[in-house]
Amino acid sequence: MTLTHPKAPSMATLACLQSALSTLRTTHHAVPAITHITRRKASHQAQGRANGAKDGAGKRLGAKKTGGEYVVPGNILFRQRGTHWFPGDNCFMGRDHTIHAGSPGYVRYYQDPARHPKRKFIGIVFEKTQSLPQPTHAARRRQLGMLAYQMPTPPQPEIATDETSAAPTKVSDGTTVSIRNSKMNPGGLQLTLGPGYQYRQSNYEIGRSGDKKEAAANAKGKTIRAFAKFKPGDRFAAWRKSVVRVARSRERKVMGRGGKGGAKKKN
Amino acid sequence: MALQRASRPVAQCIRQSSSTLHARTLATTTTTDPSSADAAPPPPSEPSSRTRNPFTASTPAAEKQLAQQKQRPVGSRRRRAALSSTTQIPFTQLPYQAFQEARAFLQEDRREKLEAIGLQRVKIARLQDRVVVGEQDGEVERRKQREKDNRVRSMGRRLEEMKVQADINDPMVKKRFEDGLGDMTKPIYRHLANTQWHSYKRQILLQRLTQMNVVPDVLPALDPIVSTGLAFPTTSSTTAIRSRLKRIQHGDFVPSALSSQPPTLWIQPYNKGTRLCTVAVINPDVPNVEKDGFDHRCHFLAVNIPISPTNTKVRLGELGSTSESKGDVLLPWLPAYAQKGAPYQRMSIIILEQPSPNHTPIVTTLLGAVAESQELDAKSASQDSRYNVRDGFNLRSFVDRYGLKPVGADLFRTKWDEGTAGVMQQAGIVGWDVEFRRKRVEPLPYQRKASERYR
Repeated sequence: MTLTHPKAPSMATLACLQSALSTLRTTHHAVPAITHITRRKASHQAQGRANGAKDGAGKRLGAKKTGGEYVVPGNILFRQRGTHWFPGDNCFMGRDHTIHAGSPGYVRYYQDPARHPKRKFIGIVFEKTQSLPQPTHAARRRQLGMLAYQMPTPPQPEIATDETSAAPTKVSDGTTVSIRNSKMNPGGLQLTLGPGYQYRQSNYEIGRSGDKKEAAANAKGKTIRAFAKFKPGDRFAAWRKSVVRVARSRERKVMGRGGKGGAKKKN
Repeated sequence: MALQRASRPVAQCIRQSSSTLHARTLATTTTTDPSSADAAPPPPSEPSSRTRNPFTASTPAAEKQLAQQKQRPVGSRRRRAALSSTTQIPFTQLPYQAFQEARAFLQEDRREKLEAIGLQRVKIARLQDRVVVGEQDGEVERRKQREKDNRVRSMGRRLEEMKVQADINDPMVKKRFEDGLGDMTKPIYRHLANTQWHSYKRQILLQRLTQMNVVPDVLPALDPIVSTGLAFPTTSSTTAIRSRLKRIQHGDFVPSALSSQPPTLWIQPYNKGTRLCTVAVINPDVPNVEKDGFDHRCHFLAVNIPISPTNTKVRLGELGSTSESKGDVLLPWLPAYAQKGAPYQRMSIIILEQPSPNHTPIVTTLLGAVAESQELDAKSASQDSRYNVRDGFNLRSFVDRYGLKPVGADLFRTKWDEGTAGVMQQAGIVGWDVEFRRKRVEPLPYQRKASERYR
């Protein structure tokens, strides 16, 4: 919708109108003189805008291979902003919606209402006589695109015995250290070499060690708990426990972590 | 006590782990020496010899003891707490007024529906008794007979619907079905199982079949009406002990070692009656270098397998071998394999229903049961040169030749892994040391454009 400036009538037109109307007038009052009508001067719309968006350089979008052209995998077929065209058979789309050829063949531009009622597709056929879309319910046309070679070093086939289970076996890296009978390792811990070249127990083993010891003690009718199990409401037991904890933490602070740090600090 | 940092990592680790135990247990690592800082805590109060009921254990301590008994709790915690705190009243006798009034209303409704079912049965009997008479001994009589059959058939279908509607409001039926105790000989449980399958698992199956293009490649169209389950045995079948089965989801990758043994297939139909089925396992992705394409291969073919809503288990390795497992195997199980470098190969398991002798519609006969399937002549099929070779097996042609109807499908995939070479060697398949590599495509020649294009 264009907005037009209403143009004021010209003086000649006004004079004609006045003379025409004067014949119809019944009275002959003094007609006021036609006031001077302001006249707008036309302004040029083709002046540049101060704050408008400027047009940029052309990005060379559009089709790069026409229908029927022979292409190889990777060839760009269509450059676009968004998906005006979708990748069809044997084509793929890049991150900026560029459509590339996925296999060697001939380009076809087509529509496939069975796939989508409105979309347009670009696909590749293997022979010049073929067309897209492929006939419905027919086995798809596919190309292998590979050659068979003799393996340079044939694999050592593990002939499955009767007792092998097909479940995936645990990967044993053979770097388990178990210093069972050492005085340093009274618990007989199983230490494996982990990332960072660290010999350590696995986290789940550490987490379960307390539970395991408690279970072993319970089996003998004993417990390794220093305090009785928490009873909500027994403030005396809770106070006893916290007194012990506070004393221990105070002792630790005084001694320090580095061994000689506490002594240094005192001085 | 202050910790001495050890320089050797192993010793440090041991010291750290023992110190964490210290932190938890206050200077004890052995059970024989409780700490003297506090009084010795009493042993746990709950005796460990008490056995817990999985239906009524609801407290955390009870659940822990139940876990120690290596049992799992049954039902939600709320249900277990309710059962432990109330007397064992049967669900239908719970003393809630609104509940009992609702029950009475539903029972009255059920009575009305049972009467309607009786009336419908009488109507069907009366219609069946009517004799069709035509003026000429030919077209009119045949048309009237067809019309009568159609009417009886649709009345039979209506009768089955009414049977389902009579039981669908019963909470005990729902509970029995959800506990897996539904009797598949009854139409209500078949209906509930069918609805459940349709709501999720069938959609997953269709998604896998269409996304992996099994439908246009192997068969032109497929509408599954029987549900399938697949599992492979984890040990060799030569052992006497029944091996454990690994269930496979639709479209899963199966390791070669697992798929070297014939699987167990569960085929669950949802309409009553026994029908004879054919099972075909087709691989449509066999690489063919000469034609630069793919071939089909049949890994298994068996006919005349009886399937019913209560008899669903089919052990593909044992068909026809014993008297109880009926069926004729035309092509025994060939392990699934994909050579190195080749893309993954889809192994589609297609279940086909054999037609009835008079070619009456398979789904319903006059009273809703499945028609008697005709036995396929296994001997003549095994001598037909088109269908007794694995390579180049055309399932579409087989289906057309014997008038089969595809009713179900399953799918798994196979690719090259460490065990494939061994499996191929054991099965005597040629090509275990062949690998595929992509063909080099010559790039297009460089085309110099007119000089104006180059600035």
